[in-house]
Amino acid sequence: MMEKVASKRGLQLRSLISVLTIVAVWEAAARAGLASPLFLPAFTKVLGEWWSVCADGSLPGDLFTSLFRAAAGLLLATSIGVPLGIAMARNRLLHWMFDPVIALAFPSPKIAFLPIFILWFGIYSISKILLVAFACVFPILIGTFAAASALNRVWIWSAYSLGTSNFALLFRIVLPAAWPRIFAALRVALPVSLITTFTAEMVGGGGGMGATLMYSQRFFESPTVFAYILTMLAVGLLLDFIMLRIQQAFPAWSPGQ
Amino acid sequence: MRALTDPTPKIEIRGVSKSYPGDNSPVQALRAVDISIAEGEFVSIVGPSGCGKSTLLYVVGGFLNADGKVLVDGKVIHGPGTDRGVVFQEYALFPWLSVRNNILYGLERGGLASDERAKIADRLIGVIGLKGFEDRYPRELSGGMKQRVAIARTLACDPAILLLDEPFGALDAQTREVMQDELLRIWLETRKTVLMITHDVTEAVYLSNRICVMSARPGQIVDEFRIDLDRTIPREQLVTSDAFNKIRNQVWIAVRHQALAAETANAAI
Amino acid sequence: MQRSDRHSYLWSPIGRIIPLVVVGLIWQAAGTFRLVDPSFLPSPVRVAYAIADLLTGREIRDNLLVTLSRAAIGLALGSMAGVWLGLMMARSEVFRAYAAPIVGGTYSLPKSALIPLFILWFGIGTVTTVCAVFLACLLPMVVNTFQGVRSTPRVLIWGAEAFGTPPKGMLWRVFLPHALPDIFAGLRVALGFSFVLAISSEMVASTNGIGKLIFMYGENGAYDYMFAAIACVVVVAFLADRLLLIATDKCLRWHESSARRELA
Ligand SMILES: Nc1ncnc2c1ncn2[C@@H]1O[C@H](COP(=O)(O)OP(=O)(O)OP(=O)(O)O)[C@@H](O)[C@H]1O
Ligand SMILES: [Mg+2]
Repeated sequence: MMEKVASKRGLQLRSLISVLTIVAVWEAAARAGLASPLFLPAFTKVLGEWWSVCADGSLPGDLFTSLFRAAAGLLLATSIGVPLGIAMARNRLLHWMFDPVIALAFPSPKIAFLPIFILWFGIYSISKILLVAFACVFPILIGTFAAASALNRVWIWSAYSLGTSNFALLFRIVLPAAWPRIFAALRVALPVSLITTFTAEMVGGGGGMGATLMYSQRFFESPTVFAYILTMLAVGLLLDFIMLRIQQAFPAWSPGQ
Repeated sequence: MRALTDPTPKIEIRGVSKSYPGDNSPVQALRAVDISIAEGEFVSIVGPSGCGKSTLLYVVGGFLNADGKVLVDGKVIHGPGTDRGVVFQEYALFPWLSVRNNILYGLERGGLASDERAKIADRLIGVIGLKGFEDRYPRELSGGMKQRVAIARTLACDPAILLLDEPFGALDAQTREVMQDELLRIWLETRKTVLMITHDVTEAVYLSNRICVMSARPGQIVDEFRIDLDRTIPREQLVTSDAFNKIRNQVWIAVRHQALAAETANAAI
Repeated sequence: MQRSDRHSYLWSPIGRIIPLVVVGLIWQAAGTFRLVDPSFLPSPVRVAYAIADLLTGREIRDNLLVTLSRAAIGLALGSMAGVWLGLMMARSEVFRAYAAPIVGGTYSLPKSALIPLFILWFGIGTVTTVCAVFLACLLPMVVNTFQGVRSTPRVLIWGAEAFGTPPKGMLWRVFLPHALPDIFAGLRVALGFSFVLAISSEMVASTNGIGKLIFMYGENGAYDYMFAAIACVVVVAFLADRLLLIATDKCLRWHESSARRELA
């Protein structure tokens, strides 16, 4: 194909321009009074607010609470989803037992279960962690199951014929071979854990980023709303970037993505 | 042969060089390749794997830019054209089209009535032995079947020039001979200009007027063999004849020479 | 999913209901034998009564319809806009350079974070919900369409060019068909998002819809009705997902992912 490739520098410049334009238009619109400060506080004002909620410790505190809930839920989901996914791939009876439940639960919007979790576990961290685990366990489970089922049978046969025991098979063949795709499933589950935490906090209260965000909205503290949203955006970007880097560090044989 | 005395060559490859951007230094795939192919000539290119044969075909097809020039009918080409039908090494069938629709794909621009197009497609499906598979999708075919569909798809458009990249590479030995004879029959009938890439020396000698041997990367034409065999005698007689085997052995030794050179070059790295 | 001949009855539609029935029985037993407080976990029988009651009334139907239409509008707009944006990004380097930071930035944003902002802008009600759903559906569609188009093998493009496909025809004849499996995969993600965002946003910013209804039952202590409404959501989401999968299979019969037919 005869296509001209624009210079990399030029493209990066355009990306930068695009971001700067948005910020500039935002700032100008707010300054010029095109939008009321309630709807659109100036970018500089949001930055100032961000700084002050950081300085008084409220934002870092909320962020810590939320990230703790998301991480604990994700960890719980992983420690259930990965072993169960592998077990289901290796054992047909387990597969038969869990498949219908998973098939029903996977597409359902987990946030609808929030009132149940609140009813059972209160409005603080436990209910949120468990809801996050509930939301994350299905993509992890399905990803792990698919990864462990897609193993080349010939690898397993040749491992057996080389005298590998069942236990060693798990750690020397199944996990290493399935790991890249399991990790890909974790990468899918990570944003699910964040969105579930924030939403559960927004709906159910009990502290954290989502609760403060909702609270600020209710009292029309628009700069705080924007400061919190921008922080959530940054956290989402940063965590995904870290996961991507880890994924890229996998050996070349791994069928990434 | 009328074709060989024609003054303007059908295809002229003039000083074509091509480098791919590599990790550290660019990879030179082709260096100053000159080939001129007369109208109605059948030229084969043989050479070690990775020497740049496909690259050369892509340049002639107009898909890749390269240094140097490619002329078709005396005019420099600036991209792909329907005058050059291509069979790609990877078949390049459209996975979302059935066998029949793949074959029909190129015909839609020819201005033929739809029943005429269907007739052409049906005939070719018969020729490639895929009757009953018309409505299958490429993923449901074996490698050899896909390759046959790719050949049929190109033949359906009846281009003046055929560019074939290892067109029989994925076929089993028997089907391969049947398809070779079919290609030979079509060529004898229509006298298309053919540029074919192959690894199979016997195939090259059996089909071509001329064989160009390429060196290991960067690919250059290092040897050329003219072949004047009587194509009308049956395969068994021709292939077992002394004349055939003499030239076959010569080409084989030349190719082997290049392959060994490629191997020692690789070992040195 | 391969099935063995020995246990084929287990994998029949009826066999596959057994595990669900077992779950129901355990749940019922837990209530009957007072292993859990029935006021916290209404028994399946009570939930079934509640479902029957809800299905005969208008409450659930009307609210479910409200939610579904909000989700559907957001999903339809979001996926159409997403496919268009994805195509543009894939086909134009310049457009991509401008759009990439915006798409990349919002892709990892937990979408529900924008609900409070939309409440500020649009108040409480349908517009806020539709906007949230729209944005959540847009991004997976952009990214998947983009990847599907970009991964078109060069020989397919070349093949089409060699057969004289004009540049305008490439979009419909090569790029979109090749991206279709990815587009459908994105659509499945977007469908899931549409339910999540519609319900989340109704829980905080609506006076009607199934999300609000579930929450109200919870606040009024009508737990059997709350469970019943959640069960309805689960079933509807499941059916929507299945319908999409069936449609996908119909449209992608040519693709590897579709059930492998035997060679004759
Ligand atoms: N897109 C590309 N980018 C970088 N290098 C390439 C690219 N395509 C081909 N090459 C390199 O150029 C050389 C020639 O490739 P080409 O495909 O033309 O070889 P070939 O002679 O057709 O080999 P084979 O007989 O195995 O088909 C190879 O060494 C290959 O590594
Ligand atoms: Mg090649």
